[in-house]
Amino acid sequence: MSALKFVLRHSPPSAVDVSGLRPAMLAGKSRKEIAQLSLTGWNEVHRVGDLFAVRGDDAQRIVIDGADERLVRIGAGLDSGELTVVGAAGDYLGESMRGGSIVVRGDAGALIGAGMRGGRIDVSGNVGAFAGSGRAGTLQGMAGGVIVVRGNAGDRAADRMRRGLLLIEGNAGDYCASRMLAGTTVVLGRVGIDAGYLMRRGTLVLGRSPHELLPTFNHNGWHDLLAIRLLLESLAVYGKRFQSFARSRPSLSRWLGDLGCDGKGEILIAPGRP
Amino acid sequence: MNVAGEIEGVPIEDTFAEAFGMRATRLVITAETRAWARHAAVSATGFATSVIGCGCEAGIERELTARETPDGRPGVAILIFAMSSKDLQKHLERRAGQCVLTCPTTAAFNGVPKEIAHEWLQLGGALRYFGDGWQISKLIGGKRYWRIPVMDGEFVCEEKAGLVKGIGGGNFLILAADGDSARGAAERAVAAMRKVRNVILPFPGGVVRSGSKVGSKYKALIASTNDAYCPTLVGLTRSALPEGTGAVLEIVIDGLDAASIAQAMDVGIRAACHGGTDAGVVGITAGNYGGKLGPHHFHLKALFA
Repeated sequence: MSALKFVLRHSPPSAVDVSGLRPAMLAGKSRKEIAQLSLTGWNEVHRVGDLFAVRGDDAQRIVIDGADERLVRIGAGLDSGELTVVGAAGDYLGESMRGGSIVVRGDAGALIGAGMRGGRIDVSGNVGAFAGSGRAGTLQGMAGGVIVVRGNAGDRAADRMRRGLLLIEGNAGDYCASRMLAGTTVVLGRVGIDAGYLMRRGTLVLGRSPHELLPTFNHNGWHDLLAIRLLLESLAVYGKRFQSFARSRPSLSRWLGDLGCDGKGEILIAPGRP
Repeated sequence: MNVAGEIEGVPIEDTFAEAFGMRATRLVITAETRAWARHAAVSATGFATSVIGCGCEAGIERELTARETPDGRPGVAILIFAMSSKDLQKHLERRAGQCVLTCPTTAAFNGVPKEIAHEWLQLGGALRYFGDGWQISKLIGGKRYWRIPVMDGEFVCEEKAGLVKGIGGGNFLILAADGDSARGAAERAVAAMRKVRNVILPFPGGVVRSGSKVGSKYKALIASTNDAYCPTLVGLTRSALPEGTGAVLEIVIDGLDAASIAQAMDVGIRAACHGGTDAGVVGITAGNYGGKLGPHHFHLKALFA
């Protein structure tokens, strides 16, 4: 059996919700039946067959080829199987997913992994704002699973994050880990202003020193903590950059805050240039 | 003595050790140096020779190299046995809390693979409250840990420890011509048995001199001295000691599975018999209650199978 492949025929005129293209929705259906399925767009409904050329037959391995940012909610609600996106993914990639894996060979939009509870998302390029956060109106961000971003992330990454792992190899924008509740976020590059804004608990590890931290974070000293050592070593499976960061295993500068709220979060900063 | 066979000329009685089902867990204790890991392990397994008086039985299973531990530091694996899951939870919590958490630089990890864990005990999940609200939970590699602030930094502890259905009370008795010979044979046996994994020898130095029988003339006691094997009572009681026996020592084995106990008994008895009767060993036997109390029977004739 070969992977079930959806090749985008043309860019849709507006955003289209393609969350229906996931294993649980397609299992047991023929290509003809799949082509007849509906996808909801902005005030219009598209048939799968009109938007995509459908090939292959293994619904546990789905490929969306030639994707562009108008395809939103790719893999939303995914609970098993593999989903590969070649091209750009729109907003809400992997929203509320509970299992399985999504690989994006390209960039992804805002709110990837919003409210996710399990599974793994890998994005080879950059992602937009609010990666690993929650949908608008919800009180918690991602609550499980792993997001790995090889490029840069936009503002408010890990906003209200509750549990899980958000790994960013590149830079992150402003207000990284804002309102964070728990979980772990690692940014190997730079972060923008006010990292950890209103952070209650959780761990933010920074590979490079920010230009300044909020005044509501207190310096706790330089530490080589066993738990952080274990944490960083466990990240080696996510790529060489995380592996080498763990191997260097420096004492990290530990800041505690945000004292503007609960103040039990920690920002761990590797020594070196900002 | 009804003899099943001989090892180096030492008669082995055709009898069996009667053992009981217990609940067990393995804890891996690590520290910055082997010495501190040992301090914690020795302390955590102290006063745990018999469930009758101590509530649990515990011992050091083996020392672990830095490569074998979850955090790459030297460590010690200990096993704790109790009669019920509830008892085991209580004693695990107390011993980890009073002897590991308190010991400089240590960390505590579950040592039971999830494939064989029958149920889960709270380890860090119970100790975390010592953090008084400052404790931090961290999910690392799919396992939840607790970081409890202490005066030398943080005590790191895995949230849960696996429980397995173990076996307690595997045993054999070394009948010797005198005390020196009995101790020599017992020490040889213990040295050999300590190399077997999944077992502990919970008594001091791995050896018991006060073997017991069920019941007593005193109503308050549920066990009392095994008079049939006491050399100083020969002539007063129905002694089970063959001619020429001057001292008897027992080795008790608790294990995570029957095969490990059988293996430990095998290597232990062969080591005890090393040197034969010239080394002063008169015979080997085992303790049982007629086979009616414990579901696990380890027959000494299996040595000759």
